[in-house]
Amino acid sequence: MTIVLAAGLTLIIGAILALALPDNRSRAWAAIGTQAAATGLILAAVVPVIMSGTPISAEWTWSFPVEIVRVRIDALSAFFLCWSLPMALLGSVYALGYLRPHFEAGRNGGSHFALLNMTALSFVMVYTVENAMVFLLGWEIAAVAAWLLVIWDYKNQKVRFAGFNYLISTHVGMFVLVAAFMVMHSQTGSMDFGAFSQFLHQPGTLRNVTFVLLVTSFGLKSAFFPFHTWLPRAHSAAPAHVSALMSGVIHKAGLFALLRFTLLMGAPEEWMGWYLIGFSALSALLGVLYTSSQRDLKRLLGYSSTENVGIAGLGFGVGILGLCWHQPALVLLGFTGGILHILNHALFKCLLFYAAGAVYLAAHTVDIERLGGLARRMPRAAVFFLIGGLAICGLPPLNGFVSEFIIYAGLLNGAVPAGLARVVLVCVAALLAFVGAVSALSMTRAFGITFLGKPRDPQVHVDGDTPAPLLMTMTLHAAGVLLIGLWPPAGLWLVRGAAKLFTDLCPSPLPTVFVLPDMAAILAPVAVASALLVAVVGALLLIARRFQRSAAAHVTWGCGYSAPNARMQYSGTSFSAQFASLFETVLPQLRREDLPAGYFPADGHLATHHVDAVERRMFQVLGDGEALATTVISRIPDQPRFGFAAGLITLAVIVGLILLGGGSVP
Amino acid sequence: MTGVINRAKSFWAGRKGVPLLQVLYDFVRLARKRPVYSSVAVGLVQAAPYVVLGTTLVSGLLVPLIGPASPVSFPFDFVFFAYAWGLGRIFLMLGALDTGSSFEGMGASREATFSALIEPALFLAAGTLAAATGKSAFADLLRFRPDDPSTLVVWTGCVIALFVLLQVECARIPVDDPSTHLELTMIHEVMILDHSGPDLAAIQYAAAIKLTICAGLLASLLNPLDPASVPVLFAGMNLALILGVGIVVGTVESLIARLKLRAVPQYVFLALVAAFVALLSSSWRVGGRG
Repeated sequence: MTIVLAAGLTLIIGAILALALPDNRSRAWAAIGTQAAATGLILAAVVPVIMSGTPISAEWTWSFPVEIVRVRIDALSAFFLCWSLPMALLGSVYALGYLRPHFEAGRNGGSHFALLNMTALSFVMVYTVENAMVFLLGWEIAAVAAWLLVIWDYKNQKVRFAGFNYLISTHVGMFVLVAAFMVMHSQTGSMDFGAFSQFLHQPGTLRNVTFVLLVTSFGLKSAFFPFHTWLPRAHSAAPAHVSALMSGVIHKAGLFALLRFTLLMGAPEEWMGWYLIGFSALSALLGVLYTSSQRDLKRLLGYSSTENVGIAGLGFGVGILGLCWHQPALVLLGFTGGILHILNHALFKCLLFYAAGAVYLAAHTVDIERLGGLARRMPRAAVFFLIGGLAICGLPPLNGFVSEFIIYAGLLNGAVPAGLARVVLVCVAALLAFVGAVSALSMTRAFGITFLGKPRDPQVHVDGDTPAPLLMTMTLHAAGVLLIGLWPPAGLWLVRGAAKLFTDLCPSPLPTVFVLPDMAAILAPVAVASALLVAVVGALLLIARRFQRSAAAHVTWGCGYSAPNARMQYSGTSFSAQFASLFETVLPQLRREDLPAGYFPADGHLATHHVDAVERRMFQVLGDGEALATTVISRIPDQPRFGFAAGLITLAVIVGLILLGGGSVP
Repeated sequence: MTGVINRAKSFWAGRKGVPLLQVLYDFVRLARKRPVYSSVAVGLVQAAPYVVLGTTLVSGLLVPLIGPASPVSFPFDFVFFAYAWGLGRIFLMLGALDTGSSFEGMGASREATFSALIEPALFLAAGTLAAATGKSAFADLLRFRPDDPSTLVVWTGCVIALFVLLQVECARIPVDDPSTHLELTMIHEVMILDHSGPDLAAIQYAAAIKLTICAGLLASLLNPLDPASVPVLFAGMNLALILGVGIVVGTVESLIARLKLRAVPQYVFLALVAAFVALLSSSWRVGGRG
C-alpha cells in the first residue's frame, strides 16, 4: 500500500517540477517521467490484485475532519487503475506533439503538464479511498483540473464559455453528490464507506432517495442524457488529448462510483435496475441520434461518449436486475459486458480523439464540411480513425464487438423471467441494434466525408505529417483495440476479478444450484468466428491484389456530367439529411437562408446546422420560469414593508426548519 | 436464386427471360475483365467488394441453408451474423464515398438510413424466437413451429419480419430496384457505380449469396417437415422452399411498384410492428401458462 502513497507523492512532485522548471522541454519531461514512474508503481501494486483477486488495504490517520482514511484496492479499483494511469501518461505524451506549435510560439506549458499530473493523482485518490471526504477531494481535483485543461486556449471567448459551462455542470453534479453523502452521514455519523454500506443494505425511503441522488450525480459526471449538455461544447473546445482523456478516462470515474456504490448497496431493488436501464437506453439512443448530424468532428465524438456510457449502463442495469432475480448468469454477463465496455470505450474513443487532433493539427479545422480527401495527405491518421470508427460501431473483429456481444447475451438471455421483463429486455436489445446501426451511419459519414473524396474547401491547407508522439500514442491505442477484439481472453482477464465481486453479491444458498456460465467458453466461438472472418477477407484481398495491380485509373464516373467540382460532392449534412428528417423532434435543423429569387437574382446564401434540442428546451424552460418569476415579483408593490415581511417569513421558515431538523436527529 | 426471381419476373412480364444461370455467366464475364479505379480513390474502393464477399460468406456459415443444422453454430450467433453484415455494409458505403461521387454518397446515405431502421427488426424477431424457444443459436431458433393460435401469431410475425428484412437487405422491390442503376432513387446499385471487372463480380456474387441466405432463413422457418425424420427429404424441402421464396419475391416485384423513398421507412416499420406483435404474443403465451 505504501507503493500507492509513493505513486501519489511522485505525481505531486512531478506537478511541482513542471511548474518550477525553466523551459518547456524539461517541464514536459518532468511530468511525463514522474507519470511513468507513478504508473509503474501503481501497476506493481494492482497487477497482483488482478491476478489473485484478493484486495489490499491500509489505514492512515489524517487531521480533522477526516481523521482516518481507509485505502483499499480491490479488483474493481485495480481494474480502473490499471488502464487509467497508462492512458493519462499516453495523453501527456500526445500533448508533447500536439502543443508543439504553441510551445514554439513561446507559450508556457508548465501548468498544463502539472494539471495532467494532478488528473492522474485524482484517479489514484478516487479509485482507492474509502472515505467520503477524501473521495470528494479527489473528485474535485479531477473536475477543476479538467476545467483548467479545457480552457488551454483561454483567449477564445467560445472556449471560455464552454469551460464555464462544464465547470457549472460538474459542480451541480458535485452538489447532488454532497447531498447524497450528507444523507448517509446523517444516518451513520461517519464518512467511511464501510458505514455507508451498512446503511445502504437496509431498504427504505432514504436509501431510495440516496440511490436516485447518486445516480444523478454520477450520471452528470459521465454525461448521461439529459445531463450531457456540457459535453459536446467542452469536447470541441478542449485540446484533443484533453478531450480524449475527459471522454475516455476522467468521466469513467462516474461509472466507477456507480459500480462502487452498487457493491456497497449489496442487495439492490428491482426498480433500481429498471431505472438504470431506462436512463441508459435513453442516453444510448439520443447520444447516437445526435452523432448522426454533427458537423464538428470532436463534437460528434463527444455525443458518442453519451451513447457509449449508455451502452455500459445497460450492462450494469442487466446485472442489477440479475442480482434482484437471483440469476448469477445475468449478473456475470451484465457486469462483465458493462465493465469491459468501459475499457473498450476508453481505448477507441481516445484513439478517435487523437486522430481528430491530428486532423486539427494539420488542417486547423475539424469541420467535416470543409475537409475531404485527407486519406491521401495523412494516410496513417486515416487508418487509425478507421480502426477506431469500426470499433466504436461494435463491429467484429474489433474490441467494441466483444463487449456489446456480452451485453446482448445478457439482454437476450434465457435466464430472464418470462413475461413483461423479457419483452422489455428484448426491446432494449433491438434498441441497442438500432444504436449500433446508427453509429455505423455516423462513423461512415465522419470518416467518409473527412478522409475520402476530394478536398472540399480550397482555403483549408493541410500541412505537415503527423508528429511522432501522436503516432506512437495512436499506435498503442489501436493495438489495444485489436488485441481485445481478436483475443478476448485478454480483456476478460482484466475484468474477471471485478465481475466476480458482483457475482459474489448473489445470496449464496440459492434455491437451486446454478452453474456460472464460463465467460471464456461463451467468447471462444466469437473469437474463432472473428478470426475466420479476418482470414477469409484477408485471403480474398490477397487474391484480388493479383489482378488489381493491372488496373487502370480514371476519373470518377459523373453520370454523364462532364464538369463536376469538389464542392458538388455529397456533404456531411446531405449524408444525414434523410435520417435526420425522420427524427426531426430531437434533431431540429436551424436554417438561415437568403435564397436567390426572381429573374436576375442577387447572391444568396444558405446556412444550416443542427442544434441540441434538449439544451434549447432547457434554456427555454429556464427562460420561461425567469419571465414568470419576474412578472410575479413585479406585481408585489415596491414598498419596503413588503420586502421586510418577505424577509421575516423566510427567516421564520429557516429557523423552523433548523428547529425541526435538530429535533429529529437522535 | 437471383435467376429464379428474374425468371418469375419475366413470367409475369410475359417474356421468355434470361437463362437461370445468367448470374454465373455474368460473374465469369466480369471476372475476366480488367478493373478501372477512380483516380480519387485511396484503396477502400478496391477493398470493399472483398470485405463484402468475405463477410457474406462467413455469415452464410451461421445459417442452416440445407440441413437442420448450420455449419457453425454457437450461442447468440445471430448477433455475430448481424454485425458481420454490418461490417460488410460499412465497407460498401466507405467504398462508395471513396470515389467522391455525389451519386454514390447518396446511395450510401440511404443504405445507412434504411439499414439502421431494419436492424432492430432482426433483433426483435430473433429475440422473440429466443423467448419462445428458450434457445439462443440461430439454427435452434429457426426450428420454432406453431402449435396453437398464439404461437401462430409469433410465427407469422417473425415470417413477415424476415420477409421485409430480405427485401430491404437484398435491395429488392418495393424498397429498391436491383435492375436499374441510373435513377437517383436507387440505393444499392448507385453505391457500386464505380466498381468494375472482378470487383463488380465479387459484389454481385455477394449480393446473390446474401439473397440466398435470407431466403434460407425464411425456408428453415417455414419448413413443415420434421428434421429428424428423413434428412434427404428435409434438405430437399428446404431447397424447394428457398426457390419458392425466390418465386414469391419475383412475383411481388412484378406486381408492385417500387415505393417512394419517403414511404420506405413506413414499410420497414411494418416489419418492426410485426416482430413486436410476435414478441408480445410470445410472452403472453408464457405468462398465460405460468
